[in-house]
Amino acid sequence: MYGRRRARVLLAVLVLVSLVLITIDFRSPQGEGPLDKGRELLTSVLGPVQDGLGSLVQPIGNVFTDIGDLFSLRAENEQLRERVDQLENRTQSIADLERENNELRDLLGMRERAGFDVVVARTVAFGPSNFEWTITIDVGTDDGIQRDMVVINGDGLVGRVIQVTPGAARVLLAIDPNFSAAVRLTRTGAVGAIDGRGGGLMRLETLNPEADLERGDEVVTAAYSNGVFPPGISIGTIDTIGETTSVLTREVGVRPFVDFSRLDHVMVVLHRPIADLPEITIDPGIPIEPPDPLPSPTPDPSPSVSPSTEPSP
Amino acid sequence: MITRMAVVALVIVTLALFQTAVFPYLTISGFRPDLLLLVVMAFALRDGPIVGLRVGFAAGLLADLLLDFSAVGITALVFLGVGYIVGVVRPYLSDESFSAPLVLSGLTGFLGTAGVAILSGLLGEQPFGIGLIVEASVLVALYNVILSPIVVGLVTRLVDRFPAQGLFAAP
Repeated sequence: MYGRRRARVLLAVLVLVSLVLITIDFRSPQGEGPLDKGRELLTSVLGPVQDGLGSLVQPIGNVFTDIGDLFSLRAENEQLRERVDQLENRTQSIADLERENNELRDLLGMRERAGFDVVVARTVAFGPSNFEWTITIDVGTDDGIQRDMVVINGDGLVGRVIQVTPGAARVLLAIDPNFSAAVRLTRTGAVGAIDGRGGGLMRLETLNPEADLERGDEVVTAAYSNGVFPPGISIGTIDTIGETTSVLTREVGVRPFVDFSRLDHVMVVLHRPIADLPEITIDPGIPIEPPDPLPSPTPDPSPSVSPSTEPSP
Repeated sequence: MITRMAVVALVIVTLALFQTAVFPYLTISGFRPDLLLLVVMAFALRDGPIVGLRVGFAAGLLADLLLDFSAVGITALVFLGVGYIVGVVRPYLSDESFSAPLVLSGLTGFLGTAGVAILSGLLGEQPFGIGLIVEASVLVALYNVILSPIVVGLVTRLVDRFPAQGLFAAP
C-alpha cells in the first residue's frame, strides 16, 4: 500500500516536471530556447558514436533494403519505363529551352551562372521518432554550415539545416510536415508552396487555385521566402490532382524525386538566405517644413482711393 | 545502486543509438520500432511502477532531446505514463507468462506511438493525419512485438544481475 502511494506521488511529480518542461520549450523561440542547448549538446556528443555505428551497420542494412526492394522491382520497372517515355518526350522541349536560354543570356550580357558551392556530407543518424523526419549529417559550423542552408542530393531537394554544432548538423527532410518551401512549376511558371506530409506524396498549393496543372508537371524551388531556397532545385512531379473545393483549394500530391529512405550522402548548398530588410521607420524628430507659399502677384501700383483728410470746401 | 543506475542509463543510451543509427536501415514500410518504449515496458514489467516511471521519464526525455520540433517533455510524459500503467498491472500477470510481454509490447507500442503523435498535434506541432498515426502505431506495435523477446530478455538479465533495491524495489 505504501509503495503504491509512493508511486502515485512520483507520478504526480514527474507529470508536473514534464508539463513545466513542455511549457518552457513551447514558449521559447525555435532553436534559441534553454532546452535547445541540451539538444545541441546531445547532437555533439552522440554524433560521432552514431557515425561509427551507422558505418558499421549500413552495409548490413543495405542488404536488408535490397531484399525488400526485390518485391517492388516489377512496379519500379514500370515506373521507370513511364519515366523514360516522359523524358523522351521532353528532349525536344529541353533543346528548345536551352536555345532560348542561351539567347536570353547573350541578350542580357549575363555571364554563365556558376553552379552551387556545396559541402558533401554523410548521413550519420535519423531522428528517433516515427513522426519527425530528420537526419544528422557529419558536417557543421567548422565546415561553413549555417542554419537554414539547403540540403540536396543528385535527385533534388532533401531538406534544410535546422540545427548546427561544430561537427554535425541536423537536417529537416522535405517530407516532414513542418517543412515548407516556395515552388514553381517548370511548365507553366505557376508559383505556390509545398509542404511535407510525413512520407509518400508532398502537398502542393498553388497561389492561383485554378492554375493549369497536369500530372507529371515538374516542381522546382522558387527563390521566395527570403531566398532560403536557391531557385530551380528539383523537388518532384505532380502525381495526383484533386478537385477545387468550395474554399478554392486543391489537394495536389507531388511525388518527390529523392528517395528519403536512402540518404547516404548529401550536399549542403553554401547559399545564404537574404537577410530581412529593415523595417522602414519614420523619424518623428525631423521637422516637416511647410512648402513655400506660392509667390503672390506683384501689387498693382495704381493709386488707391483713400479717404481724404482735407476738409471739403 | 550507482552501478545499477549507470547500467540502466547505458541501456537507454545504447538503444537510442540503435534506434537512430541502425534501425533507419531496417524499416517496415518506412517505420522503425520504438526501442525506448520497449525498454520502458520491460523495466516496468520486471520492477514495477516506480522503476517504470523513472525509466519512462529518462528515456522519454532523451527521445525529446533528440527531436527538434516536438516540445521537450511530450515523449517523457507519454513514456512515464506507459511505465506507470505497465508497473501497476504487473502484479496481475504471471512471471512465467510468455505471452504477457508480447501483448504488452504491442499495446504499449500502439498507445505510446499514437499518444506522442496526438499530444504533439494538440500542443502546436503540425498535426498528423489520422491515417498516418494509425499506420505508424500499428507498424511500431508489430515491430516492437517482434523485438520484444530480445529486449525483455536483455532487461531481465540486467535486473537479475543488478536488482532494484530500497526505494526502487517493486512495491
